[in-house]
Amino acid sequence: MSAFVLRMAWRETRGAWRHVALFVACIALGVAALVGVGTFATNLERTLGREARALMGGDVELRSARPLGAAAHQELERLRAEGALTTEIRELVGMARSPRDGATALVELKAVGPRYPLYGRAETTPSRPLSELLADGGALVEAPVLTRFGLAVGDRIAVGAALFTIRGVITREPDRAGGLLTLGPRVLIGDDALDATGLVQFGSRVRHRVLVRVPGDTPAERVRDDLARALDDPGIRIVAFDEAQSGLRRFFAQLTTYLGLVGLVSLLVGGIGVASAVRTFIRRKTQTIAILKCVGATSRTLFATYLVQALMLGLIGSVLGVALGIVLQPLAMRAFAGLAPFALEPTLDVRTLVRALAMGVLTTALVVLWPLLSLRTIPPSAILRQDVEAPRRKRPWLAVLPIAAGLAALAFWQAGSLKVGGIFVLASIGALLGLTGLGRGLVRLARAAPRSRSLAWRHGVANLRRPGGQVGGVVVALGVGVMLLVAVGLLENALDRQIDHEQRRDAPSFFFIDVQADQRDAFARVMAETTGVSPALTPVVRARLATVDGERVGRPMLERRRADGQDKLWYFTREYVLTSMSEPPSANEILRGRWWTPAEAAARPRVSVEEAAAKALGVDVGHSLGFDVQGVTVDAEIASIRKVDWQTFSTNFFVVFSPGALEGAPTTFVATARVPAAAEARVQDAVVSAFPNVTVVAVRDILQRAAGILAQISFAIRAIALFSIAAGLTVMAGTLVASRWQRLAESAVLRTLGASRTTVARIFAVEYACLGAAAGVGGTVLAAALAWIVQRFVLEVPVALAPHVLVLGVALATTIALAVGFLATYRLLGHAPMAVLREL
Amino acid sequence: MGRMIVQVRDLTMRLTGGGRNVTILDGVTLDVPEHEVLAVTGPSGSGKSTLLGLIAGLDRPTSGSITVDGVDITRLDEDALARLRRDTIGFVFQSFHLIPTLTAAENVAVPLELAGHASAPARAAELLEAVGLAGRAGHYPTQLSGGEQQRVALARAVSLRPRLLLADEPTGNLDSTTGAQIIELLLALREEFGATLVLVTHDHALTRHAHRVVRLRDGRLEAPA
Repeated sequence: MSAFVLRMAWRETRGAWRHVALFVACIALGVAALVGVGTFATNLERTLGREARALMGGDVELRSARPLGAAAHQELERLRAEGALTTEIRELVGMARSPRDGATALVELKAVGPRYPLYGRAETTPSRPLSELLADGGALVEAPVLTRFGLAVGDRIAVGAALFTIRGVITREPDRAGGLLTLGPRVLIGDDALDATGLVQFGSRVRHRVLVRVPGDTPAERVRDDLARALDDPGIRIVAFDEAQSGLRRFFAQLTTYLGLVGLVSLLVGGIGVASAVRTFIRRKTQTIAILKCVGATSRTLFATYLVQALMLGLIGSVLGVALGIVLQPLAMRAFAGLAPFALEPTLDVRTLVRALAMGVLTTALVVLWPLLSLRTIPPSAILRQDVEAPRRKRPWLAVLPIAAGLAALAFWQAGSLKVGGIFVLASIGALLGLTGLGRGLVRLARAAPRSRSLAWRHGVANLRRPGGQVGGVVVALGVGVMLLVAVGLLENALDRQIDHEQRRDAPSFFFIDVQADQRDAFARVMAETTGVSPALTPVVRARLATVDGERVGRPMLERRRADGQDKLWYFTREYVLTSMSEPPSANEILRGRWWTPAEAAARPRVSVEEAAAKALGVDVGHSLGFDVQGVTVDAEIASIRKVDWQTFSTNFFVVFSPGALEGAPTTFVATARVPAAAEARVQDAVVSAFPNVTVVAVRDILQRAAGILAQISFAIRAIALFSIAAGLTVMAGTLVASRWQRLAESAVLRTLGASRTTVARIFAVEYACLGAAAGVGGTVLAAALAWIVQRFVLEVPVALAPHVLVLGVALATTIALAVGFLATYRLLGHAPMAVLREL
Repeated sequence: MGRMIVQVRDLTMRLTGGGRNVTILDGVTLDVPEHEVLAVTGPSGSGKSTLLGLIAGLDRPTSGSITVDGVDITRLDEDALARLRRDTIGFVFQSFHLIPTLTAAENVAVPLELAGHASAPARAAELLEAVGLAGRAGHYPTQLSGGEQQRVALARAVSLRPRLLLADEPTGNLDSTTGAQIIELLLALREEFGATLVLVTHDHALTRHAHRVVRLRDGRLEAPA
């Protein structure tokens, strides 16, 4: 039997090139998408793993928002005595200024010790040792600093109160992969030169880092654990290289999961095409199958034959898909490269390729089962009586359930998580049901539609209910692609509006940070002079959480909470910016408890805590928090829990104290101001030149940076979603090609009866436009639903569905369906009617 | 008289079409002894082809039984029927029914391959030579004339030397000269390994070669003339 099966499978394939081409294309597109995403994911993972030491700059890192204390220095001294190398780094944001014209810009300043970096290499132009470039007031800058100021290497630049000579451009800094969103370009200086800038003042935000390179083969984890034991202060984060960049890793893991699922959608859309191609194929092979049954082939043998054929085609499609994925790799890398904060090498990973191959073959195997099982019901008597209808299947769910379960298993495999996989499966079922229902509705509508007086319209609509027509398949396949693209478009549009500064009349233009107490009046005066309005100044106090309900916040508490599976532990160790208010902040909603009365505020300190922070800290109204304000602990009872709308971009606080509670604590000020766009640069330059230590965060800049990242993410998703559109169009072209004989006959008859070619073309156009419009409407409605859910529940932003994106979705789907329809069938119009009729 | 290879008992076949019942066979009882050449004649629509199809197990009767080579085939499932056809029955159709995507040689080889015959291609070549088509082995059905296609179908039907040959108007789609050649070939091949032949025809020239002739009318066997 096996020899027959193999031989017959080959013989049934060799002449059926249209079937082969359609089948292979459907699978190849999805597999290529999976290879693209998978390679990106493995490259990221590999780079993060292999370069872990360089990405952190050492084996172990100590990081704190305050200078490390004596205990830490003692520990570091001990490590150095054992042969370890250490280097200190301080990072902060501050203002750089061109001495030439006074223009200013926010930069991320980094002051490094002499041995930096302990691993990896900082790449600079010119390529010289860092110690040489940074000596004697030297600075290295990222290229945007030069373009922004119109400066060149060799020019001078002011940072805070100090002047530096730009000695070169820094092109790659091994440990700058901290996050996606940076506030400004890098300026790198020597550690000894930082103090002269005057930026490290009371209350300024400096990140203190110490990198440790452990000697020989001492395990980094042991050094980390030793340090953690010795240093009780939980404000010092101690990590070994292999746990660095955990936030970045999580972000990329999620991104690649979603991209992978979008890739899987392409494969599943292709699967619809394969299933309908096989259905058509088996229907065309009814006679052959009946003959084979007559001469003694069992259903099992025939099933095996066509299954082997399908699997071979699936394998070929998958191999071609892998090849396509490899060929497109440089393009894919370019699409994704902007997202990774380090260089990615487009290396191929065998496991990714094998996995994509397996996905392709398994999907094929599952989707062809249903149409192939129908060949069992073809009776051998079909050879005698052509009109024999195959009997209806008994208990179809017996076959449907395992197939559906198999496809769901593939989704879970791709998603790598039960939750994400489950959501994907449910969403797919919803989309499938919705679009299938729409396809059915279209056919029913075509049946019920009143006879139109237009010939083209009448015949075009009639074509939709053609027996064996696959309106459902086309609407589903095309609709899914439309859904993905329109959903991405809608979300991008909504987020763009969200971060479009012009749209947000209430958002400030600037945040001014670190205005010192003695600069307060002068600052207000300068602002009033340059903008005509007085800024809103808010006093703030920096503090650290010391106790929760009387228990000291230390490593033992954190370890216990971590062991309990609690996350977001940074709420315990972060620096809090505190303020006090007598009235509740505007746009904040009191969820529980109530705001203090003056009498309550005077009695003893109370605090109002933001909802998410309270949840992470495990506290509620009536509990108590203690804050360490410059060595003094201030205990306060929680009086209320607030909901803060962080989208408003006004000054908001996690913790607000009752008036008087922070009296006497060292205070700095933050200020906001909204000025006309044209005046922004002037205001910024004026403030920085008067107060070099004040950090000016231009909201527009930050929003633009965020927009840039969003654009890159949506570009990547859209690139992958295009594969599913391509697969959907392939499916549509396939079903049109499958019905070409019927179309050819109809067009020949119509033309014999006197219809012009234009008329026949118009009939086709009506049909294709209806298909495209149905897919467009269905896909767009689903996209709107998807975008609504994501905005409402995931992003938690006000829901906005841009009407022009919705209209564009329907219009584009209709146009593309028309175009692909004509490409697949225009040749039919060229056939001479007589020749066609003779063939029939 | 030898052993009965086919025993048909009280065979009735009704089909539902267009909302009404049509009785095609109505209580047919028939025995065919081994090695016999039996001609079944009758006007169009008398149920001849249906009877032949039922004997081959291509369809299921409404009632009655059919025994082929001692096995009641009305009790067999589809796969067992297929095996029975492969091992015991060779079928020749009026409209040839070659598989269009296979060459002449491959069409002939199909039953051999299904039976797991080791040298199927060589045996197919011999058979094609026997029907005078050695030079056409690589041609597809559409490239062959009607007579040539029927020769290929003959070679396919006898490829496994079946004990029972069923021929449904094998000359019906051919001109008289070609038809005569086909009949000659069919009888010669049958003679070679002594198969039983049931021949459905309304060609009187053909009935001359039969040992016995039965006549169907309106689904019933008429008493032998």
